[in-house]
Amino acid sequence: MNNLQTDNAPSITVVKPHFIFAGIAFFISTVLIVLADNDLLGPYFGVKIVAITHIAVLGWGTMIIFGALYQLIPIVFETALFSERLAKINFWLFALSISLLGYSFWVNSLTGLLFYSSLLLLISLLMFITNVLLTHKSSKKKNIQSKFIITSIYWLLVTVILGTLIALNFRFAFFEKTYLHYLKIHAHAGLVGWFLLLIIGVASTLIPMFFVSHNLNEKKINYSYYFINSGLLLMVIEWLFFGTDNLAYIDWLLISTGVFLFLSFAWDSYKQRLRKNLDTGMKHTVISLLLLTVPVLISIFLLINFNIERIFLMRITTLYGFSIIFGFITSLILGQTYKTLPFIIWLEKYKKHVGKAKTPMPKDLYSETLAVYQMYLYLGALAVLTAALISNAVLLIRTGSYLLLATAIIYNINLFKIVLHKTKTEKL
Amino acid sequence: MMNTTEETKKHILELLKSVMDPEIELNIVDLGLIYNLEIEDKKINIDMTLSTPACPLGDAIVINVKETLKQHYPDYEVNVNVVFDPPWNPSLISEEGKAKLGM
Repeated sequence: MNNLQTDNAPSITVVKPHFIFAGIAFFISTVLIVLADNDLLGPYFGVKIVAITHIAVLGWGTMIIFGALYQLIPIVFETALFSERLAKINFWLFALSISLLGYSFWVNSLTGLLFYSSLLLLISLLMFITNVLLTHKSSKKKNIQSKFIITSIYWLLVTVILGTLIALNFRFAFFEKTYLHYLKIHAHAGLVGWFLLLIIGVASTLIPMFFVSHNLNEKKINYSYYFINSGLLLMVIEWLFFGTDNLAYIDWLLISTGVFLFLSFAWDSYKQRLRKNLDTGMKHTVISLLLLTVPVLISIFLLINFNIERIFLMRITTLYGFSIIFGFITSLILGQTYKTLPFIIWLEKYKKHVGKAKTPMPKDLYSETLAVYQMYLYLGALAVLTAALISNAVLLIRTGSYLLLATAIIYNINLFKIVLHKTKTEKL
Repeated sequence: MMNTTEETKKHILELLKSVMDPEIELNIVDLGLIYNLEIEDKKINIDMTLSTPACPLGDAIVINVKETLKQHYPDYEVNVNVVFDPPWNPSLISEEGKAKLGM
């Protein structure tokens, strides 16, 4: 009918739980940040930081991306999802494994519970990867966006395999080098290969759609793909097979060039936008894109090294991860939730009423005022926590943590307002 | 005859101004999404597009068009044909629409 892509849209029962779990996981990660207190100023590989990181990247970032992908894949691949049932089973298994994994890190059960939870996580991610790859197989449409999505999924596979090996190594100790050596590749495969590539692929469709800008030069996105992947591949191959990082500057240059090509594409879209007034959702998105430059700068600082004391460099390494996870990724999700979820729920509730009765608009499903508070609290949290990590100040860590917790509470109020929305119609 | 085809067309376009693109928050007529409108016998045939082929709200917009017209033209058959050729672009927005968007 009508050759509309919505014909392939998945059931709301597949998508909605992902958004709910992600919101709660974000809240929990901010509670743990408050509880971790001055442990946040310790080594970046401390169990509390690792627990928070995994709950944030898996429970918050990856979970919401899975939900959004189930909605978006039919549009980008122009085919229905291979299996909705697999996606539903996957959700529960993934949710359970994240909870167990986060708990095992938090209580420092690295040789006990971590072993089982990491295997469970591996299985659930393999299920997701299989579902997406089989969906892609039946798709005739091959565009740059699907190339980004599929490649990012292979990087997710690399990330989880390395993560599982690190977890197994805690129990069976078979690595020749310290696990921190593998942690570096695990983290970059995850943050750059999985998150960054996936976000660029998805954003190159969504950003022009939300800004309403046309005739953009997709070549930049295409080149960005090759720069980022070659930089990351070079980094991983050198680390894994030669155990060195002599080419680190070249890796950095390649990946950074890719990042700036993407940002330049987003800037073109921003300049040509039809909608001059940005809502909070899009403001958060613009902030996220600006924040993407922060880890690029921090990583070159860490590479140059400057012979600064080790404990300071460790905090800056924490800041590097923080700027990607709680900066770039979190700001994007905090904004994009308002650009996607209200529309998904609105379609579910009002599709059968449109034209017959007066219906609210998608933006009426949440409070824009709360969203504005959320944005300012978030910016405050980010600034204070960054200052805390640089200056080693416990008081600032505490203040920043509570601001981030307040951000998560407000976000969740709006999130539940949207998902619990009751249908309201008036006669025309 | 009072109600000529041209007047009916005008009335239909006026009615369609109540159908909003929920993302851009502008009605589909001023947005320039209606490419063609024909009335023959008891049929209303509309060729329309969407601001982006990936528009997840396309379905709801099409339903909205059909239901809105059915309310006022219950004896007519309403056919909506969604086309992406030529692709929509911002130059199709009416002057009124441009003013509303602050362009």
